[in-house]
Amino acid sequence: MQKLITASTVGLLLALGAGGAMAAPDWSKAPGKKITVFYPGVSPIEWITKGTEHGGAKGLKKGESCAACHDEEAADMGKKMVTGQKIEPKVIKGKAGSIPVTVQAAHDGANLYLRFSWKQPAGGAEKMDKDNQVKLAVMFEDNKIERANLSGCWETCHQDARSMPEGKDDKKTKYVTGGDVKGGKFYDLIQWTSKGAKHDGYVADKRVMEGGKGLVEAKGEKKGDEWVVVFTRKLAGGGEGDIAMAAGKTYNIGFAIHDDHTSGRFHHVSLGYTLGIDAKADITATKQ
Amino acid sequence: MADDTSVISRCWGVLRRPSAKYSLLTLVVGGFAAGIVFWGGFHTVVEATNTETFCIGCHEMRNNVYEEYKKTIHYNNRTGVRAVCSDCHVPKEWGPKMLRKIQATREVYGKLTGSIDTREKFEAKRLSLAENEWKRMKANDSLECRNCHSMVSMDPEKQKQRARKQHELAQRDKQTCIDCHKGIAHQKPQGMKEDDDE
Repeated sequence: MQKLITASTVGLLLALGAGGAMAAPDWSKAPGKKITVFYPGVSPIEWITKGTEHGGAKGLKKGESCAACHDEEAADMGKKMVTGQKIEPKVIKGKAGSIPVTVQAAHDGANLYLRFSWKQPAGGAEKMDKDNQVKLAVMFEDNKIERANLSGCWETCHQDARSMPEGKDDKKTKYVTGGDVKGGKFYDLIQWTSKGAKHDGYVADKRVMEGGKGLVEAKGEKKGDEWVVVFTRKLAGGGEGDIAMAAGKTYNIGFAIHDDHTSGRFHHVSLGYTLGIDAKADITATKQ
Repeated sequence: MADDTSVISRCWGVLRRPSAKYSLLTLVVGGFAAGIVFWGGFHTVVEATNTETFCIGCHEMRNNVYEEYKKTIHYNNRTGVRAVCSDCHVPKEWGPKMLRKIQATREVYGKLTGSIDTREKFEAKRLSLAENEWKRMKANDSLECRNCHSMVSMDPEKQKQRARKQHELAQRDKQTCIDCHKGIAHQKPQGMKEDDDE
């Protein structure tokens, strides 16, 4: 009897140990989705939805996503904006217009794993964030915010936010119009910084960089000229501003890279895509 | 007054009386030749008013809209095909063209009264002028655009993703070219209403 108890205890410990160690997924089995993040200039949601400025406002009103029109031309758009040809009054010399990123996803029933890899583009501009050469933020949305399935992170990007030309309030961060974390109208936000920090917060009526309990780990390193960042996030979430993910469901996802010590709006952003947990989507996390 | 009346009635009498001097053939051939000369002359004048040189003969056009148009694809492009002012602003068919020319007499009045003879006056009036033109093009289903372009001749595979999607939506919703292509050859006016771009 005692032997049986001992064996059971050992078995349980091993099982728990294996769970705690979060066996990394076999990334060679996770297909890579190529997504080009681009420099967005000054394109808040107010600009996006203004037909006299942005021809695509019509398409958006008709239910078309940004990616449906712009996915293939993200690099061209980035080039136009980063060089000041369009909607960018403050040109940063030498800044990359876009960065092609490979995104992979997997899950093990308990955790979602997201892997981002990209080649470090040229830079060298004045450092806005001296501590971090690079930051990577990901936002998830649980199909509760109107239009989030079309416009991705743009629902949080407003003309009166800090670092925008019309932003008068230095404390005004990203926000969702009518955002309410308790009511589920929010974007779940996780961030990795090259200095080694990780943040788990959300964007509702304002951006909050804490409160989440879903982010287990955010690890990044630069091998040669390539950055590789891996997030490990509990599917269930569990904290404030965490969305609970489940197999068979899809979520809206977007991400941004603050390259070359930038901060605020001077990032490279992705259009809005979908993340499926064992479900067909732009990025699918399959169980391993 | 009595003299005038007698002149008119004498002329009318000559016109009504069969000719005793000229044969019917001479009259027919002469009339035909005169018709060709008149018709040709009339069209030569009409076509002269359709040239770019005529349009930019006035500084109002030359210094404002023309300068903007010179930076667009309708002026300068890979294939060397140029759409001049009249290609976009005057219908090709005879009836609509004559109607447009009659309407254009208002522009002569505008020229004489100097309604847009300075940059400031032009800018102040630009929105209403543009709205008139958009309204006209909307009403004729973008006739001038369709002289060269048509949805059925487009190959979506050769278009950029954005154009492909927008044309697909336009066809589905039975939109006309000008619904989306305002500002394609000139700057969009300040103060343009969102309704203008519906």
